[in-house]
Amino acid sequence: MGLENPFVPYLATLKSAVELTPDVKLLSVELTDPAIQAGFDYKPGQFAFLSAFGEGEAPFGIVSLPQRKDGLEFAVRLIGTVTRALHELEPGDTLGVRGPFGNHFPLDDYKGKDMVIIGGGIGMAPLRPVINTILDHRNDYGKLLIINGARTPQDLVFAPEFKTWMEAPRTKLELTVDRGDERWSGRVALVPDVVREVSPSPDNAIAITCGPPIMIRFTLTVLRELGFKDPQIVTTLEAKMKCGMGKCARCNVGEKYVCRDGPVFTMEQISQFLEQP
Amino acid sequence: MDSELIQQIQNQARDLLESGAVKGIIGYERASDGLTARPFFAYEPSAVERLIFDETCTHNLVKYLLDKKNEKMAIVVKPCDSRAINLLLNEEQIKRDMVFIIGVYCPGVVETAWNRKGQTQQARCQTCELLKPVVYDFLAGQEPVRRPEAELYSDILEMEAKPVAAKRAFWVEHFGHCIRCYACRQVCPGCYCPECFAEQLDPSWVGIRIAPKENELWQAIRTFHLVGRCIGCNECERVCPVDIPLSLLNRKLEKEVKELFAFEAGLSPEEQPPFATFKKEEKLGLEE
Amino acid sequence: MNLLMSRDDLIHWLELLMRERILLAPTRVQGLLLFQPVSKVEDIAFDFDNTTLPPKGWFLPPTETLFSVRRGDGHTELVPATVEREAVIFGVRPCDAKGIALMDNPFLEEPGDTVYGERRARTALIGLSCRQAMPECFCTSMGSAPDDPSHVDILLTEVEDGYIVRAVTEKGKALLPQGLAEGEAVLPAPPKPQAVPAEGMVSAMRDLFSEPYWELLADRCLHCNVCAYVCPTCYCFDMRDYPDKGNIERVRSWESCQSPGFTRLAGGYNPRATKGARLRQRFYHKLLYFPEQFQDIACVGCGRCVKACPVNIDIREVISDLQQLGAKSGS
Repeated sequence: MGLENPFVPYLATLKSAVELTPDVKLLSVELTDPAIQAGFDYKPGQFAFLSAFGEGEAPFGIVSLPQRKDGLEFAVRLIGTVTRALHELEPGDTLGVRGPFGNHFPLDDYKGKDMVIIGGGIGMAPLRPVINTILDHRNDYGKLLIINGARTPQDLVFAPEFKTWMEAPRTKLELTVDRGDERWSGRVALVPDVVREVSPSPDNAIAITCGPPIMIRFTLTVLRELGFKDPQIVTTLEAKMKCGMGKCARCNVGEKYVCRDGPVFTMEQISQFLEQP
Repeated sequence: MDSELIQQIQNQARDLLESGAVKGIIGYERASDGLTARPFFAYEPSAVERLIFDETCTHNLVKYLLDKKNEKMAIVVKPCDSRAINLLLNEEQIKRDMVFIIGVYCPGVVETAWNRKGQTQQARCQTCELLKPVVYDFLAGQEPVRRPEAELYSDILEMEAKPVAAKRAFWVEHFGHCIRCYACRQVCPGCYCPECFAEQLDPSWVGIRIAPKENELWQAIRTFHLVGRCIGCNECERVCPVDIPLSLLNRKLEKEVKELFAFEAGLSPEEQPPFATFKKEEKLGLEE
Repeated sequence: MNLLMSRDDLIHWLELLMRERILLAPTRVQGLLLFQPVSKVEDIAFDFDNTTLPPKGWFLPPTETLFSVRRGDGHTELVPATVEREAVIFGVRPCDAKGIALMDNPFLEEPGDTVYGERRARTALIGLSCRQAMPECFCTSMGSAPDDPSHVDILLTEVEDGYIVRAVTEKGKALLPQGLAEGEAVLPAPPKPQAVPAEGMVSAMRDLFSEPYWELLADRCLHCNVCAYVCPTCYCFDMRDYPDKGNIERVRSWESCQSPGFTRLAGGYNPRATKGARLRQRFYHKLLYFPEQFQDIACVGCGRCVKACPVNIDIREVISDLQQLGAKSGS
């Protein structure tokens, strides 16, 4: 079925759809064929296409970890026709999964380092499996700093997991919102400003950031001010995709295909791109 | 080639650029075949010597004004092209004081393709009643000798006389060749929607399939979106890579609009196209 | 001594082929020259320069169904497209054959497009050497030639009474009719297309990315899809689902990087919003990214885009301009 023709997705069933924010749902899917489900292996950073049959497919970062056996999870933000169709699915409905595609965060290379995870809005999605990998192998990594921002408190995507993150050893969680509400007693500031305020040390550290382009741009400036060098700054790029496997030439940023050479890139690599994302 | 006419265009263009009155000139230069013309943008006074005007200057340059809305540009227009300027002024897509119109007394143009120059005037020139542009700031050239008369709509009448089955077969064959390159839409000054209906996903009016039924829908709806607005430059037909005779569609509806509403598009910037107008006093024909 | 085929031999052979397989050949349709399936030899245009659209449309059709979604009884099935019949394309010019070979690079690279691969495996190409070079041709500057047998299964070259026949591949050899005789006919000298010097262009391009040249050239670009669609090597596509008689079809159709919404994300952000950036992308893909990835320029010098572009954006001029810009910047 999906094994031979790479354009044909695997059939999957929606196990659950949990509302994380007003426009983001956590979809948990199970591939229909048990053999394919068992063999579906992926690493943080990779993505897959979800097919809402009748509408089309779109790429989403995989936010679960195969080792945790929680199921194959995607955080889907409602923004267009395919995501609307995905949001309308009920548990038990059939959808398609095509993947996994892309490269991954080289987390083994980061062992022993201090990790700075900076995410804004739905940008936290590809960072969640990174955080969970570090938590699952806590002693393999140094300090863990998570800076997580969103437009409003309702838009903080993985709120149910904050307690777990905060309570992990040598881990700090700094939350911030652009606009608070009556119940919010936390920080009201933009993510780059929080990075400056918290001022993580670049020594033996890796910063992984993902979020809206403008957030990344200013976060980058701050990280460089703090002394982070471009090879230490990692991000995951977004692009309009169709085939996901380097064939249709849609997602290229210059000579690099986001689907095949990325989506994970260091700033050192990105600064050498002919075309800037 | 009328060198006097070209001198006038070049001098006017040079003055405009040197004085800083405009950011650039949209005109014509010689194409890479050394025979026909192509659009040319001159931004420096030194570039105006490349400007030409002759019977191969069939292109309607008015579409480019929509890409240059933030800068004052000068544009070289034939009488037919100038009607498109009125259309865009009427539909408030461009501002009159943002365009300096270099109008040309046009003796008519020939069919051209790359490395091919026709020998006789285009059919639309043979029926054209405009000798000079309907709107301009500067007029180049001289009033041309009256062009040969040809019967307006003779090919439309011929088509109307065919039985429905023959008409259907004609269009099914042509639309079957359409590859949805959208060159017809891209060249047309009347097609400027930021999101064309053909590209809408929600709802999906046409979809991405490049197939006969979808092609028919594409062509039919585009034609209807131009009713009472098409100014008859025939660019759509010229640019089509698979030779679909698109002007038949547009001129058929142009004929109907003339007969029903006594209206021709683009003759003045004030007159509203019939399908963009609703007057309370118009009878809807419901009570009768 | 060369293997020969008379005009009659050719006609009989094509008649035989069209009985067993789909035979595509250049046909005259309303002033166009298109590769179409033929059922009568009379429909074939033997005397032609080149077709309006290249034969790439057989391997990557303007529209195709990748798979169908069939639903019933709470059960969903995905039915992939299959390739039913063997096919032969007659009258492929060497430039177009090279175009198909270039397209093999992205489509057959892991993970291979299985339907494309099957079409390739089940289609034979009968090439036809060019007798003359057209004003728009520049194949010899792009690694091809009017008599290049490299990418066809059989190459026919017209001589006085018929054709010299060269079987290039095993598939071609197996396709030839029996009883062809050898003859004295000699391969004619191929015509000489115009030269468009392209040395050093690929390496120069790295330095020319930010040149104002691209926005200026894009002034007259209409951003239609003509150049990409008539091109033997352009292959960008779109995919979307559509209902069809109760089923759902995953449809793949041509699209090009020139269309304004090509890179626009849901939500509205478009990284290639300017005309210059889009126009630049096409030239960079063909003349830099593709060669860096697959070691071959993605242009075969057929000149179709030169003829078809409504505003005369001429790739030969662009190549020449890039060389000059490159020389100026010292690369």
